[in-house]
Amino acid sequence: MSSAQIVFENVSKFYGDVLGVNRVNLVVPPGITSLVGPNGSGKTTLMNLMTGLIQPSRGRIRVLGLSPDNPEEFFREVGYCTQFDTFPKGFTGYQFVNSYLRLYGCPGKEAETLTWQSIERVGMIDAANRKIAGYSKGMRQRIKLAQSTCHSPSVLVLDEPLNGLDPLVRAETIALFKQFAEEGMHVIISSHILHEVDAISDQVILLSNGYVVAEGQIRGVRDEIEDHPMQILIRCSKPGELASKMFQQEHVIEARIHKDGAGLLIKTRDPSKFYLMLNKVALNGVGIESVAPADDDVNSLYEYLIGGEESTK
Amino acid sequence: MAIYKRNYRAYAGPLTPAWSRSWILTRYAWRYLFRSRFMTIFFIVCFFPALFMALGMYLNHSESLLRLVRLPPGQPLISDFPTYFRRFLQFQSGLAMILTAFAGPTLISPDLANNALPLYFCRPFSRVEYVFGKFCVIAWLVSLITWVPGLILFGIETGLSGTTWAWNNLWLANAIFVGSLGYVLVLSFLGLALSAWVKWKPIAGALVLGTFFLGAGFGAAINAIMRSTTGYFIDIGHMMNTIWASLFRVADYDAGVSLTAAVVQLLVVCALCLWMLARKTRAFEVVR
Repeated sequence: MSSAQIVFENVSKFYGDVLGVNRVNLVVPPGITSLVGPNGSGKTTLMNLMTGLIQPSRGRIRVLGLSPDNPEEFFREVGYCTQFDTFPKGFTGYQFVNSYLRLYGCPGKEAETLTWQSIERVGMIDAANRKIAGYSKGMRQRIKLAQSTCHSPSVLVLDEPLNGLDPLVRAETIALFKQFAEEGMHVIISSHILHEVDAISDQVILLSNGYVVAEGQIRGVRDEIEDHPMQILIRCSKPGELASKMFQQEHVIEARIHKDGAGLLIKTRDPSKFYLMLNKVALNGVGIESVAPADDDVNSLYEYLIGGEESTK
Repeated sequence: MAIYKRNYRAYAGPLTPAWSRSWILTRYAWRYLFRSRFMTIFFIVCFFPALFMALGMYLNHSESLLRLVRLPPGQPLISDFPTYFRRFLQFQSGLAMILTAFAGPTLISPDLANNALPLYFCRPFSRVEYVFGKFCVIAWLVSLITWVPGLILFGIETGLSGTTWAWNNLWLANAIFVGSLGYVLVLSFLGLALSAWVKWKPIAGALVLGTFFLGAGFGAAINAIMRSTTGYFIDIGHMMNTIWASLFRVADYDAGVSLTAAVVQLLVVCALCLWMLARKTRAFEVVR
């Protein structure tokens, strides 16, 4: 087992009779990994297990080869940013980062240096000595990030880090995550903002009712779902004619003219057969301009996997 | 899978000992507490009784000053030192209770209200260390106005009366220290437990006072109605007085309960507070 990965081995967590997560087997490599799922799907439980805040009822967790049973080593490698604004009353940004850094055991002078380094990394130097109560939502998010990265962890766990941020701050925050990942961190994000998850994640873990329903790269996950039809958008000059031809194929279960009238949405159970057939159709003068998967994003995957009523959007 | 080159290192410098990290919470809590002008003034006022007691001791040994206050020569101002120190401790315990009612609610409830506990516990920092750090806030504040000045007064009297007096009355120093320590434990745990369970600070503060005053009131009512002494078991103040009376060897104190019963009752209160703290100081509250 690699010591550079986060490994869940048959992990279950029950809160009395309530299921948190069940039989989770995961290997999380470095880079940005997104946990996606509706409320109660087990995202936060998985994050809490990863950060050693709760112990599994069954199974074993190794974070870079370390167990939470060894807190001195384990917590040095893990940084955690909660979804809540958890700021002690009256603290400045500097005091907030510095006080929690001291709990890691950093002596005064070293803690001061590291505090300023992490505050600088999130671009908060000018506001560091102001009280957090006066910070904007984006500034609070950034100072929380500084707090969770001040000890240079190898694993950064961020619970709903993009919640409530305006587009500009969101873009800045995403850029920061990418920077962390480029530095070699495991960045684990839980989020409901799926189009951003799509854009920033190296891999996704889809959760539903405490179970991991799919994991891997978004395209890879999509390929694994054989039972569900794939939706493809074909831009062409004669969508009606193309639709009639498509309906003759067994693997095509739905053909719908696009609302702009210049394309056709096809749902197929067998993409390979579909693409083969499409080559033949193209030769018959239908005038195909482009062919692109229409559901190669997390939300579509999610809807496929756990049903529309639980969709995160 | 994306491949990233790791180009930074985690902090690998020196570390402070694990036992000392709880003090960070204590220091920050004190800093927060003493931002309050009321708290600062009240804490200073808590030392005035000790100053008066010290002055009394000095006066007791100065014949010229005794003449000045027109006390007959040869008749000491303080003849019964056990009572002198016990009264001091009883007075200070009242001040300590008010101090706890003010300081206690600021300790755990803000962390719970802000969901801050996960931030503490995702570090090499345990629940026991967290509670200990917060416990020290009240424990030291109360200590500084009870046994610390009490022992200083004992030292002053030793300086004025000589080492023979000190040797003969060493049990008094023990009574001051042990008696105060018991009170410090009860007050600190009570302040923390109520802070953990009651998020609204004024109510938590009122409950600290209420535990003593209402306990005494209900206890007296139970005793009167049932014509028994069982009511004392909810009267923490009475139990403390019973212990102090025993420690200061007060012969004519009618406690109504035995020393063992008083000690057990206070241990039960501490255990109950610890249970309350264990229930609340968790990284996550499980809502079923």
